[in-house]
Amino acid sequence: MSERGPDFDELVGPVDESGLDPVEHDRLRNVHELLIAAGPPPELSVQLEAPPRRDAVRTRPRRRLRLVAIAASFGVLAFGVGYLAGGGPDYETFGQVTMTGTTAAAGARATIDVFDADAAGNWPMEITVTGLNPPPSGKPYEVWLTRDGARLAQCGSFLADPDGTTRVPMNAPFKLRDYDGWIVVEEGSDVPLLTT
Amino acid sequence: MARPSDDQALTDGELLERVGVGDRTAFEELYRRYARAVLGLALRRLGDRGRAEDAAQDAFVAIWKSARTYDPRRGSGAPWLYAVARNAITDGLRRAPEPTMELSDGPTGEPSPAERAETSWTAWQVHRALEVLPSHERPVIELAYWRGLSQSEIADALGIPLGTVKTRTRSALARLADALEEELR
Repeated sequence: MSERGPDFDELVGPVDESGLDPVEHDRLRNVHELLIAAGPPPELSVQLEAPPRRDAVRTRPRRRLRLVAIAASFGVLAFGVGYLAGGGPDYETFGQVTMTGTTAAAGARATIDVFDADAAGNWPMEITVTGLNPPPSGKPYEVWLTRDGARLAQCGSFLADPDGTTRVPMNAPFKLRDYDGWIVVEEGSDVPLLTT
Repeated sequence: MARPSDDQALTDGELLERVGVGDRTAFEELYRRYARAVLGLALRRLGDRGRAEDAAQDAFVAIWKSARTYDPRRGSGAPWLYAVARNAITDGLRRAPEPTMELSDGPTGEPSPAERAETSWTAWQVHRALEVLPSHERPVIELAYWRGLSQSEIADALGIPLGTVKTRTRSALARLADALEEELR
């Protein structure tokens, strides 16, 4: 992908090979250009998952600097996980989280590489899992952010490869500092398989 | 939720009219459609995520309170929502101006106010339109456009055949085109 985004002809095909009417082909290309121009939408943090009340009044304006917030998030990663890669927000890789398998998935391990926040304030991540085979149910696994053991925000889901090794990109809202742990479960299950 | 399926079928303008008479369910549907767009607009305007989240909440309170002034004869819902949200965000900026240090991504090549306005409106429309995508189509768009994955990499990441990725991509683009043309023009 170039800095301008993916190649439209690779996505849809040239007009004479796509099987599309030229007008429809142009219509899709226009959307393609708009997607690139718009950039990624921000993910919603827990605080924004529900709409405000009509009579909501914010009495104490929060005046936080971005660097303070980033430092706080960095602190959570350091405190909650105990391992950091890179030296700060100027690095491409912001931090790395390690996860170990529970008794329900003994031998499984995972690392989550957390990259610098994108333009919308989302945190791109990539989880690399080893030793976690696909469940008999065929369902995907889910990665959640937790606080005090409670699952609060889902970062993504993945289908495990048959050899137990999987690498999947994910995303998370900005406020990593609102959480203190990570967990992997099978979809529809509360049994933790990997935890920090 | 009294009648979520009904509200999902309504246009933005119809939802605004219901919000104007105090329909909380309609407001929740509007919020679902526009929360990311409003937050994105605030982020572009303010630069700081924390302040943007505050401003987004303020913007929705303003939408709640102003909905009764919406007149469908004067245009569709999306531009009205954009104007109310933009004004609320700007009002918040006036009340609590911030140091400019955090916004200085670079002194050169900065867009003009007109260019920023056009970009913000484009992003608003696109981010709103993304909400129409079904859950199986949205990931292929996000991974292709904002994570830089090739179609083959997306197939691997999602565990689906390459042909399915291509089909979903084309379908998603068509769905977005429909949404942009019908609802937001």
